[in-house]
Amino acid sequence: MNKILKLSLVLFLISAIVAGVLGVINNITAPVIDAQRQAKTAAAFASVLKADRFDEIEFANPDFPTVQTVHKAEGVGYVVTSVFSGAQGNITLAVGVDNDYKCTGISVIEHSETSGLGANAASTGEVGVNFRAQFVGQDEGIALSNAGGSIDALTGATITSRAITEAVATSIRAVKSLA
Amino acid sequence: MNRKKQFTEGLITNNPVLVQQIGMCATMAITTTLFNGVGMGLSVLIILTCCNVVISALRKMIPGEIRLAIFVVVIAGFVTIVDLLLKAFVPALSEALGVFIPLIVVNCIIIGRAEAFCQKMPVKDSFFDGIFQGLGYTCVLIVMCVVREFLGAGRFGGGLIDVSNGFRFTLDGTGAGIQIFPESYGASIMSLPFGGFLTLGFLIAAMQYALKKAEDKKAKKAEEEKKEVEE
Repeated sequence: MNKILKLSLVLFLISAIVAGVLGVINNITAPVIDAQRQAKTAAAFASVLKADRFDEIEFANPDFPTVQTVHKAEGVGYVVTSVFSGAQGNITLAVGVDNDYKCTGISVIEHSETSGLGANAASTGEVGVNFRAQFVGQDEGIALSNAGGSIDALTGATITSRAITEAVATSIRAVKSLA
Repeated sequence: MNRKKQFTEGLITNNPVLVQQIGMCATMAITTTLFNGVGMGLSVLIILTCCNVVISALRKMIPGEIRLAIFVVVIAGFVTIVDLLLKAFVPALSEALGVFIPLIVVNCIIIGRAEAFCQKMPVKDSFFDGIFQGLGYTCVLIVMCVVREFLGAGRFGGGLIDVSNGFRFTLDGTGAGIQIFPESYGASIMSLPFGGFLTLGFLIAAMQYALKKAEDKKAKKAEEEKKEVEE
């Protein structure tokens, strides 16, 4: 009994110290990480829809559980951010939609896809830029080329590409539901 | 303990990847650009050194029955610290390496060194063990990155070197690298995990060959000396 108590105590102490240190580090880094995320989101918005101002509008339609926020750019269109699962984890995507319900561009804000494969969806290289450019001008009927659409997938397994394509269609439908 | 011997062991004779063959998953996954390789190598080096020092300092306090649990807590702590710091101050690297930074928790180099070395050795030796093993790991990553980046994309130093405006190092991962031949001529399979297996296989083979040869030479020399003594 004594032995078990001693073991628990040692493990508890070490875990407590580690947790304390992590708390301090988190306190220091959290605001920096947050500021970076905001700057990134702003840049993503600007890259998917040409507008000077984005105003968040309320969106709580239970038919679109993946949609996180909808921002309206007066007279130009909307930017929809959604979170959905990719191949390795959640993907956060910003989709620009104009007033004719056509996609004006997409930008991957956060992801943890496989480096060199699905991660290319977010890359600044040729592959990533070409992949994202395919979405411009698409409507809600968008689909991968192996499903009869016109979007060429990044990889043969198409998990990331399909998730993004579906998210773009969902975003356009979400904007339509506003009208 | 002999530092020189520790140095040779970490880099060559007991290299974590090529000889001990631990920590291979991340090695194959992230070695696509020099930026990733250097970043990952240095992250592992720092985490390994910190964990080695702490575990070695605590080695008399840690009861044998729960040592693995404590190792994992300490390792996870340092990995999370490095992960948060990278996210805050080197976001490009954190993005490029993605899930492989948190996965250092289960990288067997760190728990392997804790188990095989630090729980028996003084802090100073453990500190140098961390540095040298970390260097050995980093060197392998760099070699793999250089080979794969060259064959796969015809580039050298992607993310780390920028030559568009005179030669300079880019620590934020934006440099395009030195293009040696057009990217479209590259065997892009080398950038895929398959290329990682292939490169690592050849590297391990070369290392084993070199080590075997050195060993044979040593044995032959010893034999000759023995003969001379007999004569």
